[in-house]
Amino acid sequence: MNSTVQKNKTWPVIFGILGVIVMILPFFSGPYIQSIGRTVITYMILAISWDMLIRSGQLSFGLAGFFGLGSYAAVLSAVNLHFNPFISIVFAALVAGLIAFLVGAVVLRLRGMYFAITTLALGEIFRIIIHNWTSLTGGPNGKLLPKLAFDGASIPTYAMMVLFALIIIALSEYFKRSRIHYALTAIRDNEIVAKSSGINIYKYLLIAFTVTAAIQGAAGAGFAQLYGFVTPESSFNANYTLIPLAMTLLGGMYSTWGPVIGAVLLGVLGEFLKLYIPYGHLVVYGIIIILVLLFMPWGIVGMAGRLLKKGESHE
Amino acid sequence: MNKKKIYTIAGISAALILSVILLIIRPTILVYGIQRAGIYAAIALPMALVLGIVHIVNLAHGEMMMVAAYLSYFICTTFGIDPLVAAIPTGIIMFFLGLIIFKTSIAHTLEAPELNQLILTFGVAMVLSQSVNLIATSQPRKISLDYVSASATIGDVSFGIYDFIFPVLAALFLAVLIYFLKKTRLGKAASAVGQNPRGARIVGINVDLTYTIIFSLASMIIGVFGSFFITKFSIFPAVGGTFTMKSFALVAMAGIGNLPMVIGASLVLGLAESLVMSVPHGAGWSPMIFFGLIIIVILSRSFRSKQ
Repeated sequence: MNSTVQKNKTWPVIFGILGVIVMILPFFSGPYIQSIGRTVITYMILAISWDMLIRSGQLSFGLAGFFGLGSYAAVLSAVNLHFNPFISIVFAALVAGLIAFLVGAVVLRLRGMYFAITTLALGEIFRIIIHNWTSLTGGPNGKLLPKLAFDGASIPTYAMMVLFALIIIALSEYFKRSRIHYALTAIRDNEIVAKSSGINIYKYLLIAFTVTAAIQGAAGAGFAQLYGFVTPESSFNANYTLIPLAMTLLGGMYSTWGPVIGAVLLGVLGEFLKLYIPYGHLVVYGIIIILVLLFMPWGIVGMAGRLLKKGESHE
Repeated sequence: MNKKKIYTIAGISAALILSVILLIIRPTILVYGIQRAGIYAAIALPMALVLGIVHIVNLAHGEMMMVAAYLSYFICTTFGIDPLVAAIPTGIIMFFLGLIIFKTSIAHTLEAPELNQLILTFGVAMVLSQSVNLIATSQPRKISLDYVSASATIGDVSFGIYDFIFPVLAALFLAVLIYFLKKTRLGKAASAVGQNPRGARIVGINVDLTYTIIFSLASMIIGVFGSFFITKFSIFPAVGGTFTMKSFALVAMAGIGNLPMVIGASLVLGLAESLVMSVPHGAGWSPMIFFGLIIIVILSRSFRSKQ
């Protein structure tokens, strides 16, 4: 698991430019493509946030939980407190971040399987709370948004999501270049060594967990602002954990561009599959997770990096 | 060993005190609590076995139970036999399904970091639940049986007696597993592998074969339980998910590798859930109990390690 940062800087840049082109293309096509684009970007943001935490070696299955929490925070604040859509997204990020901070303070004492399963349970717990707190959340019926961001116009909402994605990509790159990255990588590689060299493991993990949960909450809020409704079953759907995971694994873990590439590839593939297999097309994502783990654990980005390195050494 | 005994005694006595209080206040809570505990113990035991010996967290655990229940359902509807009879073919099929799952995927990540194993079994779980979704649709299915609604009355308390089959089943599983691990040659080898795989390999135990057999055996137990599950509950592709989490919570509470304590942990969970359900409007909140228990276990462990 000692995937080092790639020495060669040109390839990630080329991938990045390709990604940006893919992001811009939908502006010149119809609303259907733009709606696919928004969904893909939502998954991309989730995938990047998941990757940001896995860089510390902590596997979180809590994506769907914080996603749904953010969706609800945005809709409820817009309905009850009459927040502007954009403020409601920021509010959702703050709520998700705060709850992640409180939960993380307890749960981050755990490692490995204990942490993973507790985060898996978190999503379920949030769903149950939302489901049962009928007076606030509308219970199983969910809530409707009275007014969508940009009144649901296709191009501005897509532009908003692209901007959102760019911010998250920049944040992820910042995480990769700052002190936090070295601390988190050290924790992943060898926690005891990291601890003995003076890294405050708990603090850095808590920062990473809170920030990624806030991103997931904001992604959920953005999604709720696009579709205008939340229900416990749709907002906390396990797909929001499964799909970003498959995307990150396929693209390549421990990088920003891996999740981006994975999201674009699998997002577009997923839309095609949906047309042919309306129910159960998610089986493909599960199969991708298994195949990638067994046969190419470094993902596309890692494979490309390795092939490139091989080519250089031959010259 | 001494520490373990103290925890065992503490856990059992806590469960006993809770039961006595319940017995005095409301006997039905106790009855339903024990019945629930039986379900949880029966499904958590195979996970405890796999976790204790193969050292793999199988996130597809509940999904395998769901697949077994569907298998049993289709066997029953095709051949017109009782689910309790179908438990035998279902168990055999699940033995081989477990074998296939282990050999094709999990066995290749045994040497890999724990992270990979978790993601892999999560992928397996998704493949299983989505395949069932694809083949059988998400429509709930149920087999209606007459004997399931049998009830008994003691004093002025009346309750269903069929559900006591689950505690009996759990006790049977535990007895068989303990006999297997303590008395048979293969079981002793498996225990050795569970304690120290490298040492077991050095003394000439075929570790890979042991892993395969234990995983398949656990799958078979899951299969048998799946057939019992369908007699009482309706099934749908997402039914297994919570059982994975609850089983893990129980195994974590009991301590990894401690099979008998799983029963004690299940009793605590079952009784607590039953207690919450008896409170008005409490039924919706009962699925949260296990999460609270996990958090308590975590906190107590982290404080203990600080001392």
